[in-house]
Amino acid sequence: MPVWIDPEKCNGCHGSRQPPCLRMCPGDLIVKDHAANKAYLKYVNDCWDCLPCVKVCPEEAIEFHLSPQFGARGARLIPHVQKTNDQITWESIDSAGVRETFTIRTKLMPVALDEALNDEPQEAPDFAI
Amino acid sequence: MERKIIDTDLLIIGGGTAGCMAAVEARERNPNMTVTILEKAHIDRSGCLAGGMNAINAYINRGETVDRFVNYVRDDACGLIREDLVRSQAELFEYAVKKVEKWGLPILCDDAGNYLPRGRWNIKINGESLKPILAKAARQAGARIYNWVVVTDLLQDTGTGRIGGAVGFSLRNGAFHVVRAKATIIATGGAARLYRPNNPDDAAYKTWYCPYNTGAGYAVGIRAGAEMTSFEMRYVALRTKDTIAPTGTIAIGVNAPQVNAAGERFMATRYAHLGGDGAPTPYRTYGPIEEMKAGRGPVYLDTRGLSAAQVAELKSAYLDMYPSMVLYWAANGIDPSKTPIEVQTTEPYVVGGHCQSGYWVDVNRKTTLPGLYAAGDVAGGAPFKFVSGCWAEGILAAREAGEQIKNTPPVVFSEAQIAAAQTRAFAPFERHGKLRYGLRPVQLEARLQKIMEQYAGGRATYYEMSEAMLTVARTEVARLPAECDQMVADDLHELMKAHEVLDRVDVAQVLIEHLIYRKETRWPSYQTRTDYPERDDVNWLKFVNSRRNPKSGEIEMCVRGPDESP
Repeated sequence: MPVWIDPEKCNGCHGSRQPPCLRMCPGDLIVKDHAANKAYLKYVNDCWDCLPCVKVCPEEAIEFHLSPQFGARGARLIPHVQKTNDQITWESIDSAGVRETFTIRTKLMPVALDEALNDEPQEAPDFAI
Repeated sequence: MERKIIDTDLLIIGGGTAGCMAAVEARERNPNMTVTILEKAHIDRSGCLAGGMNAINAYINRGETVDRFVNYVRDDACGLIREDLVRSQAELFEYAVKKVEKWGLPILCDDAGNYLPRGRWNIKINGESLKPILAKAARQAGARIYNWVVVTDLLQDTGTGRIGGAVGFSLRNGAFHVVRAKATIIATGGAARLYRPNNPDDAAYKTWYCPYNTGAGYAVGIRAGAEMTSFEMRYVALRTKDTIAPTGTIAIGVNAPQVNAAGERFMATRYAHLGGDGAPTPYRTYGPIEEMKAGRGPVYLDTRGLSAAQVAELKSAYLDMYPSMVLYWAANGIDPSKTPIEVQTTEPYVVGGHCQSGYWVDVNRKTTLPGLYAAGDVAGGAPFKFVSGCWAEGILAAREAGEQIKNTPPVVFSEAQIAAAQTRAFAPFERHGKLRYGLRPVQLEARLQKIMEQYAGGRATYYEMSEAMLTVARTEVARLPAECDQMVADDLHELMKAHEVLDRVDVAQVLIEHLIYRKETRWPSYQTRTDYPERDDVNWLKFVNSRRNPKSGEIEMCVRGPDESP
């Protein structure tokens, strides 16, 4: 199970119908249990390890683990997205507990906690961005 | 099911690398044109770029020329390319890359502000967010984006064959979407999961190519009678062991050669006449396969002796694209400066952006079906396109489609035709609870992958195949459509999985016919024929094309010269 959503940390993005992790999964693998207000990875065997869900979680509730068949041995990799959205600091903890960090620039787009089913066209197109 | 009718000038199927760029180009050129994107996932993080990219792998670096690029690509594809297509994409690399840089993509530069090359045709980027950057550009250009719509078929005028849009269903509420369009660009990517993947169980989707790209774009065209080319040039990738991460980051990034278990640089010793570690891409896959076959494996990329700074750079590069590589090294105590990195070869993919499997298109990316254009990994004849070539094709297709819609009245479709498409789309769902013993998509996928793995040149036979084996594959895969009539889906997610199986069965049948038809070995490992082991330029320096006859269902084969175009 490469991606695991910690039910202690997941707050369901409050009342979100479609929280960011669910929307950003390219395989449609994450669902939300609305009664419990928790998201979880429903199709564990279909995960690509691509990590948009991990990076987008505002609570850092989604953990990335290596599949045990690759000798996971408790190692962890945690992306910390900086509030400015222009850097990610990756924290790598190896099987002996040795920690290493890498800060890499990027240009993350802000992601809303919820979204209507389909995007509607913008009023005025803006090619400059 | 609720039906949603959408009328648009231009429909783009697939909001990925090519599709987003096509949407922006179309709206910039014709601000009054309505552009609609149907996207299977959410456009912000869908398809091949979901995890990110760390390089643009097709770019004309300073001192290089388009002519030299075309010659390089021809050699890399063992002599066979559509030169007009490769040239036209290369001419747009600069335009496309500059555009995306303006949208915010961080590109690594030297002190003088020039892009940092990574090898001859590549530049380095910090592309973790490349996909959301493209999606934002498409959104802000005014494209109407419909996320989570699984396209099941094109809408085709039964008289003229003209394509006038597409249909599909919403993964969220099941609404049947009918999009009527004056022009349609197909940009859904290639096909993964045709063959058994490298890893089982919870790593079965740990494929190199995006596992959610299952050949829908090929399949809708096959069913509509489009001419396809070069499916037999499959892509078998050399990737890191287990994590199946790209090796260019190591091989090109830090110039690490391949070595076998004895430490021999076998590409240099055995394939020197083809360029050693710089041999054409199929040979850089074939070489290590032959080492393993001969008992000289495992095979590694020799990273020993890298400096600490180089190792840090390597890890950073993987974090921008395949973070699991860094976790794998951490878990297994691997320091690339002390331990060489083991590699393996993947299951075969059908992908027009690395190889050249796809729609037979003209230089403007017009397919053989009027009103339909193809861009990116579904378009054929132009290998080595990668991200920037997909952008170029999206631009070219959008320009041509934009001209076409000015003189095109919309096609009118009968209720009977739309109802038939709707019935087909929901059939596995409707069967649920009605069959005594229904088959699950995952079961039929396993059947398809087993046949392909064992009889159509999968990993089980070191990718080798013969007419005798391929004939078995042909017979067995031909039984699958009837079995798919027993396929059931419980919910909309499983309905998507059902269509992924239906699409791959259509793609696999065409692939097998292509593999049977080419009676030579042009691309060892991608297409290794034990009964025709030699490359035969006299008879086969040409394209193998196919068209499934929509009336008879027969797959009709033909050859086309390298200078031909539709």
